[in-house]
Amino acid sequence: MDQESAAWVAALAGQGGDRDAALARLHALLLRGARFELGRRRGQLASLSAAERQDLATQAADDAMMGVLTRLGDFRGLSRFTTWAYKFALLEAATKARRMAWRDRELPRPPEDWLAVADPDGRPEAAAEHAELLAALRAAVAEVLTPQQREVLLTVVAGRVPLDVLAERRGTTRGALYKTIHDARRKLRAHLAEAGLLTGEEVRGR
Amino acid sequence: MSLVEGLLGPEEPEVGCDDCFAELDRYVELELAGEDADAHLPGLRAHLAGCLACREEHESLRALLADDIG
Repeated sequence: MDQESAAWVAALAGQGGDRDAALARLHALLLRGARFELGRRRGQLASLSAAERQDLATQAADDAMMGVLTRLGDFRGLSRFTTWAYKFALLEAATKARRMAWRDRELPRPPEDWLAVADPDGRPEAAAEHAELLAALRAAVAEVLTPQQREVLLTVVAGRVPLDVLAERRGTTRGALYKTIHDARRKLRAHLAEAGLLTGEEVRGR
Repeated sequence: MSLVEGLLGPEEPEVGCDDCFAELDRYVELELAGEDADAHLPGLRAHLAGCLACREEHESLRALLADDIG
């Protein structure tokens, strides 16, 4: 562990005035991280006033501080302490921003005709040269996924709902939802590979 | 990412969101140091390809550290 990181850990794990000073410095660091993230998401948060954005940054820094202190024992010194701490601030700020942007919105139901949804890059997917793959993929989504897998995968991928937003509405976590998506993707890949539409190489991670 | 890519996800084995978060700081520092981050932390690159939320936070951490350096 580098010297500066060790000093952070020692001060935060200690007592008295040194710890208080370290806590204040840590909060300032996390607030910088949170503001940085919210600044990158200005467009997403355009409806918020400056005071509301500031409040969101403070909430993110507060929650990040809780995370850092709770998991201080996990810090192994494999990166700088400040880098390790920053990621908590970015996670909290990004998650709050995504949820704020969706707070008054109903989640879209997976569209019936989801294959006709335009690509994020604007290309009409259905018109692409992968017509056979697309048809098989559509059938596989309908046939091999569980209803839960289908709804989560389509809501996130075709409906473009952020994982954190869907996790909040369902009372679960990003990690648990991603596991559902991961499992669904493995099933789809395996099914398409069996149909000869993907090579074995492409499903080696199954 | 196209709809097909989003539905099929990365073909390589990948870590989950929690493991990604646990290693993200080290991964980014290795990247910025010009080291082979993927060799040190296999499965993380594939996860970033498949998970938009983690990918955004990876990009933010890189940008924030670059901003700190000035």
